[in-house]
Amino acid sequence: MFLEQIKTAEEEWKERHKDEISQAEAVNAACEDGIPLKVLYTPSDSKADFYAEVGFPGDFPFTRGNDAAGYRKKLWTISHYAGFGSPRETNVLFRKMIDHGGVPPYMALDLPTQLGLDPDHPMARGEVGMAGTSVTSLRDWETIFEGIKLEDTFVGTVINAPAAVFLAMHVVLAEKQGADLKKIRGNLQNDILKEFTARGNFIFPVAPSLRLVTDTLEYCAQHLPAYWPLNVCGGHYPEAGANRVHEVAFAFADAFTYIDDAIRRGVNIDNFAKGIFFLMKTNHTDLLEEAAKFRAMRKIWATRLRDHYGAKDAETMKCRVLAHSGGSLLTRERPELNIARTTLACVAGVLGGIQLIGLRTMDEVFGIPTEKSELIAIGTQHVVAHETGLPDVVDPLGGSYYVEALTAEFERKVLEELERIERMGGMVKAIECGYVRKAIAQDAYRTHRAWENGDKVKVGVNKYQIEENDPPRQPYAYKPEEEQRQLEAVRQLRRERDNAAVDQALKRIVETAQRPAATGNNLMPPIIEAVRAYATIGEICGALRRVFGEYSEPTSF
Amino acid sequence: MSTQQRKIRVLMGKPGLCGHDRGIVLVVMALRDAGMEVIYSGRHNSPESLVEVAIQEDVDVLGVSILAGGHLSLCERIATLLRERNAQDIVLLAGGFIPPEDIPKMKAFGVREVFRDGARLEEIVQFIEKVATERAAA
Repeated sequence: MFLEQIKTAEEEWKERHKDEISQAEAVNAACEDGIPLKVLYTPSDSKADFYAEVGFPGDFPFTRGNDAAGYRKKLWTISHYAGFGSPRETNVLFRKMIDHGGVPPYMALDLPTQLGLDPDHPMARGEVGMAGTSVTSLRDWETIFEGIKLEDTFVGTVINAPAAVFLAMHVVLAEKQGADLKKIRGNLQNDILKEFTARGNFIFPVAPSLRLVTDTLEYCAQHLPAYWPLNVCGGHYPEAGANRVHEVAFAFADAFTYIDDAIRRGVNIDNFAKGIFFLMKTNHTDLLEEAAKFRAMRKIWATRLRDHYGAKDAETMKCRVLAHSGGSLLTRERPELNIARTTLACVAGVLGGIQLIGLRTMDEVFGIPTEKSELIAIGTQHVVAHETGLPDVVDPLGGSYYVEALTAEFERKVLEELERIERMGGMVKAIECGYVRKAIAQDAYRTHRAWENGDKVKVGVNKYQIEENDPPRQPYAYKPEEEQRQLEAVRQLRRERDNAAVDQALKRIVETAQRPAATGNNLMPPIIEAVRAYATIGEICGALRRVFGEYSEPTSF
Repeated sequence: MSTQQRKIRVLMGKPGLCGHDRGIVLVVMALRDAGMEVIYSGRHNSPESLVEVAIQEDVDVLGVSILAGGHLSLCERIATLLRERNAQDIVLLAGGFIPPEDIPKMKAFGVREVFRDGARLEEIVQFIEKVATERAAA
């Protein structure tokens, strides 16, 4: 009855403002992923069964939030990501942060480490210690955590292809410290599938890469229950150019692939899925769609975990989202406006009710951020958290005709994309046949052309430009002597350690890798033994390379 | 015209370990849209393999993209290898996250032009058309 009345009233309103509305409708407004936008939303646009679809916060399907009291229960975590120098410098920084009551930030590693290459490998030349710390063996891990009790410290590591080696180093060091493995907390990125399509730091082909992820999930479910062995990174997709629907659909498709593999291995869903976090982007563009995205993610995840995977524990069904604002949307032109962009990105994340937010600094488009700009990025979040009143009410957009319609449409498009991938035979197939890369490239090309021809506005770049010069830049802290030092360190290590024990351990890795993946044939135990014998990351990954080969990416778009 | 004009041939690739390829993929697509024959060699190429493929494929232009800070040493090695193989007539272009003060150094060791991350696709297309025409006339 009410809906009928509204529909009639809406028709009458349209008639009264015919000219204005038809003019506005002639401008084709749409979100970047193609979701069309009406001029106005009314109750006739939202679903009739609002409470079944949307429900209450803290209850299934969690559209309105994971917790009943939202940010009144706990404010989102204000995060920051920092770069480091050598293992020794990293140790000094970690101890300083712990002394100040904080936790160490996520550890960034250099590219040779991320690709399983020792500093003396020819491909490592010029890149050692460049994009993060160089970690070659357990010896470096011991240096980084000298004087730090692992039992008391959450350690986050941005590592993917060789994640199993890092888990092994952590386990061995914890054992050496006499720690209770059940209390060890930490997090690996460990999301190899997005490396093949978006981030690019892959080593082995897809199937054995997936096996390594499952081996770490299984090992943690058995031995390190407090450890979070996997962050599924949707956020790398939009940085590579993907639109928002692809960001979420690909992240979920990746996550379901890991879950399917772990379940095939016989791991119980309620034993490991709580340790899966999503690392997404929160961006200011199409801001309300960004908030709707996080709402839709929770609903899709909870529904799939309960109905498809048979999760019983409500905690397993909660989609936990950590998000950073996107670096690719920041501009070198009028860089102060980047503060406005990241402020709005923060607001989008808060309106979406997510668990952690990290903002980019205004000057990182020029190089390593200044301390001043880092403080601005953190202060921006403090303003949103303490001056706006946004955290006072759970899911403030819930019930908005527009945002509910957007959430429902977004969910529909993500499910449609997930079905497309399932029809292809799943995400592994979609990656191997080049579909995912092609979809991302086409999204990126479309957006880029729209920026270049001015269809999409980038303030300061294609509109409202002002004359200015690049401000002085913070140079990269590249020190050739650091490369030399790591090179000498690895040579010294090879002289000092028991090389027979290393060879024996590497042989066991090869034998285990040659047998099919299965419980009882997990690669973690032999990798742990190799790490204990001070085998290097290049040697361990080299042993795996001999069995698994290397991935060669499809290059057509 | 009786003889068919040869299409401009370009090898695009990422040397070193940097995995960021959004920019280079955009350029690959734009060059193809402009009618060029583009070979994209993907990520994780050694300077040696890029130079080898460039010579084997008889390209007019070798374009490389680096965003993780290794541009100076990688470009210098590629330029040196091109000279050693007597293939310095292949036009070497670089792109990516490159600070302005490094551009003169890169040009000094043989990079013909550097397109920073704000460059327009059209600008790159036109530059390649120009140098390829010059090369064909030489």
